[in-house]
Amino acid sequence: MIGLHDLVKQYGAFTAVDGVSLDVAPGEIHGFLGPNGAGKTTTLRMIAGLLKPTSGRILVNGHDLATDPEGAKASLGFIPDRPFIYDKLTAGEFLRFHGGLYGLDGHEIGGRVREMLDLFELGRWEHELVESFSYGMKQRLVMCAAFLHRPRAVVVDEPMVGLDPRGARLIKDVFRRMSERGVAILMSTHTLEVAQEMCDRVSIILKGRIIARGTVDELRQMGGGKDEGNAEQLTTVFLKLTGGGALQEIDEII
Amino acid sequence: MVHAFPYLLLPHVLSSRNRARRGDRGDRLRAIVFGGIGLLVCTLLYQGSFWLTAQLAGYEDLGDYLLRLGLSWLFLTFLSFLAFSGIVTALSTFFLSEDLRLLLAAPIATRRVFHARFLRTVGQASWMVVVFLVPVLMGVGRARCAGPAFYATSIFTMVPFTIIPVAAGTIITLLLVNTFPARRARDILMLMGLLFAAGLVILLRFIRPEQLMKVESLPDITDFFATLQSPITPMLPSFWAGETLFASLRGGFDLLHAGALWTTALGSIVVVRAASERWYFSGYSRAQEAPKARFTQLRTLDRLVCALPLSTVRRQLLIKDLKIFLRDVSQWSQLLLLGALVVVYLYNFRVLDLQRIPYMSGFVKNVYAFVNLGMAGLVMATVAVRFVFPAVSVEGFSFWIIRASPITMRDFLWSKFWTGLVPVLVLTELVTVAANEFLGVDPFLKGTAAVAVVMMSFALVGLATGMGARYPRFGADPAEVSGSFGGVAFMIQAVLFIIVMIALVGWPSSLYVFRRLQGLPPSLAQQLLMTGCFVAAATSSAAVWLLSMRSGIRALEKMAG
Repeated sequence: MIGLHDLVKQYGAFTAVDGVSLDVAPGEIHGFLGPNGAGKTTTLRMIAGLLKPTSGRILVNGHDLATDPEGAKASLGFIPDRPFIYDKLTAGEFLRFHGGLYGLDGHEIGGRVREMLDLFELGRWEHELVESFSYGMKQRLVMCAAFLHRPRAVVVDEPMVGLDPRGARLIKDVFRRMSERGVAILMSTHTLEVAQEMCDRVSIILKGRIIARGTVDELRQMGGGKDEGNAEQLTTVFLKLTGGGALQEIDEII
Repeated sequence: MVHAFPYLLLPHVLSSRNRARRGDRGDRLRAIVFGGIGLLVCTLLYQGSFWLTAQLAGYEDLGDYLLRLGLSWLFLTFLSFLAFSGIVTALSTFFLSEDLRLLLAAPIATRRVFHARFLRTVGQASWMVVVFLVPVLMGVGRARCAGPAFYATSIFTMVPFTIIPVAAGTIITLLLVNTFPARRARDILMLMGLLFAAGLVILLRFIRPEQLMKVESLPDITDFFATLQSPITPMLPSFWAGETLFASLRGGFDLLHAGALWTTALGSIVVVRAASERWYFSGYSRAQEAPKARFTQLRTLDRLVCALPLSTVRRQLLIKDLKIFLRDVSQWSQLLLLGALVVVYLYNFRVLDLQRIPYMSGFVKNVYAFVNLGMAGLVMATVAVRFVFPAVSVEGFSFWIIRASPITMRDFLWSKFWTGLVPVLVLTELVTVAANEFLGVDPFLKGTAAVAVVMMSFALVGLATGMGARYPRFGADPAEVSGSFGGVAFMIQAVLFIIVMIALVGWPSSLYVFRRLQGLPPSLAQQLLMTGCFVAAATSSAAVWLLSMRSGIRALEKMAG
C-alpha cells in the first residue's frame, strides 16, 4: 500500500535520507524507529507530499507521488508531529473544510464529521474554536481529519506526543481497528513500548539508512537479546543498534 | 549576583544586533525604501515647521500667540496618541509577549520585570512621536534662531512628556486585563482605536480646513485654535510641554511647567509600579487562561457560498478563508480606516469647487478623471498589499493541510486570486465611478476609466497573489508580511504598472476628448495609435496577471524541494 524505493533526500551536502526502501502492506502497522535526526520525519514528510525527494520513488495505493500526486494523496491520511490547525475555525468547520479538500461534500460530510468527532471523543467540542483546544485535543482533531476521507494508508509522525494515557489508549485502539479494516499505517515513534505493543513490523533508521527491519522478535534476535517480551529488551536492542553505548557515560558524568 | 533591570532588555538588544548582522533577503532594499521615505517626511516636516514659524514671526504678538497655541496643540495631539499607543504596547509587552513565561518562571523580582518592561513600553510606544517631533522642533528652533539651550530643553521636555501618557496607558491596560481576558482586550482596543482613527479622519475633513487658508478668514484661525483651549487644557502635560518649550524659545526657562512635567512623570512611574506590584501577576495569570472563545458561527455565509456555482474544493477554500478573515479582528478592522479614507476621498470630489475657474472647469474635470484613476490604482495596490499579498502567508504553519491534500497548487492559488479579486474590484470600481459621477466628467472617460479599473484589478490582484506565493512568510503577522521584502517589491512594481496604465489609457482618451471639444474627429493615424494604446493596456494587464499567477504557482510547487 505504501512503497518506498531507494528514497534519497539531500539538503546541500547533507544527506538526510539515504536510499530508504520500504513496503507497508494493507492492514499492517509498521513502526519507524530511530534516534533524533535519523531521518524519520523527513521520510514521512516526503510520503505526505510535503517534501520533494532528491531521488527515488514513492507509491501510495499504486499511485506514484511524483506523477500522480493527487491520486496518491487522495488515498493517504497524514498526521504530523505538531498539530498546526486553523485557530479561527471550529472543530466541525475544520473537518468539513478538510473533507472538502478530499471531495467530500453535501449530506455525507455532516454525518461523517460527527462520527469522527465522537470516535475521538471530541463530539461536544464540534462548535468550539480550535484556538481554545489543548495540544492533545488538537492532536486528536488532526487524527479525525486524517481518517475522515477513509484513507487506504495513513502516515503518522509521533502519534502519542502530548496525549494523556486515556487519549493514547484511544489512539492505539483506533489504529488497531483501522488496520483490521485493511488500512496500512506507517508510524514513527520514540516510544519503544508503543512500537512493541502495536507494530507488526519495525524498521530502524540511523543516519538516513534503514539498519534493521523485522518483527519485534526478529529485532530482538538481531540484537542478541532473549525473547522475554518486555519493552526493556527492545530498548536494549535499539540502543545497541543505534550506538547508544554513550548512555553508559552519563552515569560517570552525573 | 543580581543584575540591574536593564539586563532583562539584553535579549532584545542582542536579537536586534544579530538581525542587523545577518541581514535577511531584501533588508537592504527595505531599508533604502523606508529610510528614503522617512528621510523625505522628516525633511518636509522640518521645512514645513521652519516656514510656518518664519511666517508667524511676521505677525509679532499674534504670531507668538499662535506659535504658543500651536505647540500646545501639537503636544495635545501626541498626548492622546501616546496614551493609546501605550495601552496597546503595554498589552503586548506586559501580557502577550512569548518570553514572559521564561522571565516570570525565573527568580526575578516583579519590580525588576516591571522596570524593564516599562522602559520597553515607553520606547516602543513613543519612538514614532519622537521621530516626528525632532524635525518639527528643529525647524521651529532654526526659524527663531534658538540657541543650544532650546534643543537641550526639547530633550529635557520630551522624556517626561512620553513617560506620562504611556504610564497612564499602562495602568488602563492593567485594569483592562484584570477585567477582560488579554486577547479579547486586545481585540476591543484595536477596534476602539480604529474607530477613533476613522472618526478623526472624517471629522477633520468635514471641518473643511481648506477654508482656513483663505486670507479673509484669518480671524477664524485664531477662533479655531482658541476653541481647542478648554479649562482643563492647562492641567495637561501637553500644555506644560508647550509652555516649557515656548519659554525656552524666548531665551527663558519655565521652571514651573518643567517641574510639573518631571514630578508628574516620576510620580506616575511610582504609581504604575505600585499598581503593577498589586495587579500585574493576577492580570498575567488571567491572560494565560483560555476562556471559552466567543465568536459568530457565520451560518449565513455557509449558505451563501453553498449557493455559488463552485466546485467542492473551491467552495471549502472560500468558506475557510472568509471565516478566518472575519473572525480575526486585527484583519478586518483595518477596513474601517480604509472605509473612512474612501469617504473622505469621495467627499473631496463632492466639494471640489471647479466653477470658480469656469473657462478651465471642463479641462480640469477631465484631468481629474485620470488623477482619480491613479488614486484608484493606489487604493487598489494598498488594499492588495495588505489583504491579498499575505493570502498565502496567512495559511501559516497550517499550510501542511493544503499541501498534504489532493489538490493542486494551481487550484489553491487561483482560489486565493478570486477571493481577493471580487472585493478589490467592487471597491475600486465603486470609488472610480462615484468620483467621476461627482466630477461630471465626459461619458467616454467614465467608460474608459471603468474598463481600465477592471484591467488593473485583474493585474494587481494577480501580481499580489503571485508575489505573495513567491515570497511567503508563514507564521508572521499579516501586517508584517505586507511590509516584508516581497510586499515592498510588490508595491514598487504595482506603482510602475499604474503609471504605465495611466499613460496607455490617459493619452488616447485625452486626445479623443480634446478633438471632440474642438469638434474634429481623430485622424486615421490617431485612431490607430489610440487603438494600439488600448490594446497595449489590455495586453500588459493580462500579461502581468497571468505571468504573476504562473510564477506564484511554480514557486508553491517548488516549495516541496
